[in-house]
Amino acid sequence: MSLENVFIWLIFISVPIYLLAFILYSIRLIEGPTVFDSVLAVDCLSFDLAAFIAILAVYFKSAFLASSAIILALWAFLLDLYLAKYFLRKEVGT
Amino acid sequence: MISTILFYIGAVLIFIGALCDLFGALGLLRFPNFFVRLHAATVGTIGGAVVPLIGVALVALGSDFLGNIRYVIAGSSFVTAIIILIVAPTASHALAYAAHKSKAVKWEDKVCDHLEGMQK
Repeated sequence: MSLENVFIWLIFISVPIYLLAFILYSIRLIEGPTVFDSVLAVDCLSFDLAAFIAILAVYFKSAFLASSAIILALWAFLLDLYLAKYFLRKEVGT
Repeated sequence: MISTILFYIGAVLIFIGALCDLFGALGLLRFPNFFVRLHAATVGTIGGAVVPLIGVALVALGSDFLGNIRYVIAGSSFVTAIIILIVAPTASHALAYAAHKSKAVKWEDKVCDHLEGMQK
């Protein structure tokens, strides 16, 4: 059994677990009681989507997919900092 | 030989990351209030994103069927793992501080709250 077949079996096992976790995060994102719960769910969803993109980059043999995960992780961090700044000072900027 | 060992270590790390992701999502769905949900969110980010990214880096280094692309994938996923390792605790910490300071989250059955007398 070559390494590529082992990797395809790994994809078959682990990708449904990731998709189930994404669905559970999306439920918390939609029905979150406050804004902070929704933003926390978006945070987890973005970080896990970065890991999922890296797995798909190995599966599709593409180099551009792997380098786009950095931008996704930094975007989630920026969203959290903007929300925290807004709820503390009631403004965004300076 | 060494590439096969790297590949299997990376595959085990990816599977552990998938399980941590599922447990973090279950905790985020079932826990009672926001400050308890932060613990499950940290399990979902550190165990569910950093561990599989290091696993993807090891898998890409060990797999010969990728050609020269494997160094690009391994390097960028390792850099992403380090960035998430630094950024995720900072983001959840800032979010918890803002949620406590702005009094937007009401929770019951509080055991202790050391920041309560320091509100301005």
